[in-house]
Amino acid sequence: MGTNYQTSDFRNGLKVLVDGNPYVMTYFQFVKPGKGTAFTRTKLKHLISGNVIDRTFRTGETLEAADCEDRNMQYLYHDGEQYQFMDLETFEQLGMAPDLMDGGEEFLTEELQVMITMFNSRPVGLLLPNFVEDSIDYCEPGVRGNTAQGATKPATLTCGATVQVPLFIEQGERIRVDTRTKSYVNRVKE
Amino acid sequence: MRAIRERLWEQGFIEIEAPALVMSAALEEHLEALPVGGASPQRWLHTSPEFALKRVLAAGLPRIFSIGPCFRSEEQGPHHASEFTMLEWYRVGCDYRGIMDDLVALLGVTAASVGRALPEVEHLTVDEAYRRHSGGPADSDPVEAARTWVNDVELKLTAPTIVRDYPASEAAFSQVRGGIAERFELYWEGVELANAFTELLDPAELEARWAKNNLARVADRRPPHPVDHRLIEAVGRHPRCGGIAVGVDRLVMVLLGIDDIRDARVGG
Repeated sequence: MGTNYQTSDFRNGLKVLVDGNPYVMTYFQFVKPGKGTAFTRTKLKHLISGNVIDRTFRTGETLEAADCEDRNMQYLYHDGEQYQFMDLETFEQLGMAPDLMDGGEEFLTEELQVMITMFNSRPVGLLLPNFVEDSIDYCEPGVRGNTAQGATKPATLTCGATVQVPLFIEQGERIRVDTRTKSYVNRVKE
Repeated sequence: MRAIRERLWEQGFIEIEAPALVMSAALEEHLEALPVGGASPQRWLHTSPEFALKRVLAAGLPRIFSIGPCFRSEEQGPHHASEFTMLEWYRVGCDYRGIMDDLVALLGVTAASVGRALPEVEHLTVDEAYRRHSGGPADSDPVEAARTWVNDVELKLTAPTIVRDYPASEAAFSQVRGGIAERFELYWEGVELANAFTELLDPAELEARWAKNNLARVADRRPPHPVDHRLIEAVGRHPRCGGIAVGVDRLVMVLLGIDDIRDARVGG
């Protein structure tokens, strides 16, 4: 509790309190107006509402750390309103509304391990693994011989997400997807 | 670089090579010089060629320039590097308005050298810039005023803009007339590219500003800048003139659409 960050500690992903609200730093830049004192210009994203604010801090000013904690959780099921997770340390169950997930819910598959950011015992953010594997639920049939021309087609995964895949990929195949860019990585042999 | 030099040569400016190793590197309260290890007595790398060039002015050359590396510590980021390339020129017989004309002409040929046309240059006073972009005059507290500048004003100066007439407290090396410092800066794409003055001619005033800045530095637990008495003497002797410093790397960034200063420098 009570940790303060100096402007020299600023980095992307830092979780801070501004006027009692939790924010994550998404941008920072050192600026020094002509002949003047130095500032750091930042963009801060509200952890719950997602609103972005611009704030400028003078060198020497500090920001209070938001008391956030990333916890290892396992996805259980969707109960119609919320996504249910289990804390892998305490085995407590926790529900999270999709509007806090920033679109990440589409890659949730049963038993997937994720990180959930907690602020004041409330879930405020979902962090997926960088890569997930899933089977293709539906796509157009493969085109034989067309292997590396860069042409793609949409494929719907079992988890519900749609990604662009190369033309040679067949329905039912298992693929690896990069959740950061929502893009196809490779085919996975079972 | 070549376009810049050719333009200045055409205009009769003489290139001066300023020494990089100096015994006094800065006047300004918020500028940090890089100390050189192993030098005795203590030496620093220069933060600009200004001190050397003013002594050349005092010696009688009326139009001079210098282009080369300058060094500032504690400055790192997409628009800041510890080593950067600075262009300075001084013209005897004019004030900061004469330097504005020089600058606009130089920007034109520099832009043309990379196949770009220079957009119309806007002219604003500092007060007009605050009122237009932050909805009111600058805060009376200088720190809050600077914060508003960084947060609200600077990034909106996207067209090439000459901002002139600073408060006397931000005069640095400029002459103050009627409570207003005859100083201007050039902004383009929200980036500060140049700073210019009607150069101060009063050695007593320069010494007083130096002492005041050093008092503020000591109060802030930073080492005072050594006072350069040869510079103070030169300021008392050189004729009326205007001068300017241009960040060449930043100008290259804006002209070529580069986002990080390291990409504008060889091996940066």
